[in-house]
Amino acid sequence: MDALVAWLQATSLSKAIVFSLWVWPLAETLHFIGLTLLIGIVGFFDLRLMGFFRRVSLEGAHDLVPVAIAGFGLNLLTGIIFFVGHPEQYVHNVGWWWKVGCLVVAGANAGVFEMTIGKQTMALGPNADTSMAAKAIGLVSLVAWFGVLYFGRMLPFIGDAY
Amino acid sequence: MTNLTAWLEGTALATWVREDPSIWAYPTILTLHTVGLGIVVGASAVVDLRLLGYGRKLRVGALAPLFPIMAWAFALNTLSGILLFIADAVHKSGQWIFYVKLLSIFAALWVTFATRRIVLDHANLSAPDVVPANGTRLALWSAVLWCVAITAGRLMAYIGVP
Repeated sequence: MDALVAWLQATSLSKAIVFSLWVWPLAETLHFIGLTLLIGIVGFFDLRLMGFFRRVSLEGAHDLVPVAIAGFGLNLLTGIIFFVGHPEQYVHNVGWWWKVGCLVVAGANAGVFEMTIGKQTMALGPNADTSMAAKAIGLVSLVAWFGVLYFGRMLPFIGDAY
Repeated sequence: MTNLTAWLEGTALATWVREDPSIWAYPTILTLHTVGLGIVVGASAVVDLRLLGYGRKLRVGALAPLFPIMAWAFALNTLSGILLFIADAVHKSGQWIFYVKLLSIFAALWVTFATRRIVLDHANLSAPDVVPANGTRLALWSAVLWCVAITAGRLMAYIGVP
């Protein structure tokens, strides 16, 4: 891991990110905008999966998910910029590993949903209650994404890597 | 003005927010501010996307329960924002970008109330689901103003920092 950190820090891309006055603030701003799209849309769908907002069409809420994925893509890209710029701040920070762990859980959970009960759940009409499995998946998703946000914002205060 | 901000900064509460080494002081307040931001702007994004024609299977009126959630998250951010402000009142009150943030939030709030009116007007879900002409305009203004608020908020860490 330390070899990766040293190699990344030596790249000209890493130096360009760190020395630029505007790259970091711009990436942070985009990271925040991306997070709102992700949390807002996915959270909305998760709550419907959990049985709230019964009048909301599951299919309609799910149709917004591509925008959430676009927000995630933006955050993946800007996240990579942070990591390449200051890898040492992240790999030695337990909060960052918790963030990555939450990301893995959220991603795997979404994958399981799409591959198992996704289709049948979306076929439910408005006002229909969801299955216990759908409720559980919605809850895991909500907790995992807020975990990503929590550990992301807490990074500078957890551990002593900064 | 400086007398007031200096007094604010000197209060026991402001000192606690700024100087207490506990993770429950500054780090948690800052993180709650980000959680609230994600909920307010994220839920707004869901409504805005629908008004712009995405996720048409969602009935506009079915989005009504998002507004109380936005209101609670906005209250959380007003409170956490006040705490973050008093902890650093002299400096923050002298940052022009802080006023850009405040003004864009007030404007976005006004737009959100107008958007809420449209959603509540669609409370009867069996009526035709037609978005009025100003719905598109409001949705675009909402997106722009929240992005400006997020950008200005993020740049407070970079612009006019001593």
